[in-house]
Amino acid sequence: MELSEQKTPQCTIVGIIGRLDTTNYSLLEKKLMDLIDNQQTHILVECSKMDYVSSSGLRILLMALKKITLAKGKFVLCGLQENIREIFEISGFTNIFEICGSKEDALLVF
Amino acid sequence: MAYYLHYKDPNSPEMIRTLESIPKCPGTCFFMDINKSTDIKYQGGLPDWGRKLNNTFNDLLYANHFQNNIVKGIGDEMMLFITDDELKRKPSNNTYFGLLEDIYAALFLIRNHPNPDLFLNCKVAIHYCTEVYNITFFEGANDYYGSDIDLTARLMTKGIENRIVLSETFYHQVKHDLKTLGLPSDTGCLQKVSKRLITNFKGVPKSKAYRIIDVQ
Repeated sequence: MELSEQKTPQCTIVGIIGRLDTTNYSLLEKKLMDLIDNQQTHILVECSKMDYVSSSGLRILLMALKKITLAKGKFVLCGLQENIREIFEISGFTNIFEICGSKEDALLVF
Repeated sequence: MAYYLHYKDPNSPEMIRTLESIPKCPGTCFFMDINKSTDIKYQGGLPDWGRKLNNTFNDLLYANHFQNNIVKGIGDEMMLFITDDELKRKPSNNTYFGLLEDIYAALFLIRNHPNPDLFLNCKVAIHYCTEVYNITFFEGANDYYGSDIDLTARLMTKGIENRIVLSETFYHQVKHDLKTLGLPSDTGCLQKVSKRLITNFKGVPKSKAYRIIDVQ
């Protein structure tokens, strides 16, 4: 799994590329928590190139959402592949996260 | 596929020969139990408890890609088994450490979900089995039998809501993974693991060591 980071005027975009699993979720955790600790609480997670996720990855996203909500920031996800969206639905995530189809759509909500 | 045993002659020599030829099938056994599902059946109707059982089973299985490892379910409890061969073939989470982390995360997600009305809290027991055979006595079914499967079931007696009970044998497999991966021994949910506990489980001839992880 690789992570990318891009600053825009609206938010910080974190891209997840590859398989988010128990061998690498700590990298995403560190990336998101570092951003939040540095008051960058408007974050878009771009998932179009993420092709696997399990509970360990979902746990990090939920922890980030809770922290950002407390800090009155905004946390948005976009570009979920169909198999990933299914996992999000099963986990009851589609009703608690703001999820957009594309990065362009997501940037409009900040 | 499981070895299917079905002999009409109780003294069948062929049955003995077959049994002696069946190889052991090492792997990881999980028992997962949903808490309070009996209580809610008395408090609400099928649409309430049926929905929560559906959601919770789905979350435990599909979010961790375990749906092909279900051996059996009875009521609000299910048994999963992942053979070592299958674990090694998985493209992700193909270690014992990965299995433990995902189970911990699944229980964490249920416990901490912002909508508490969707899921039911669970308890889980995990054991690494070596005394186990992939056999069934029922045509078309898959099952695993052996003293290590019995021990996994016994570990559940130490479980409470939001707790993972892991046998010392499984704990050692996880620690070995961490060493192989070059990770500290307290990585991930192992930061929360208890000290070694020992008990005599009913029907198990020797005392057994286990540990617990309470999900916060």
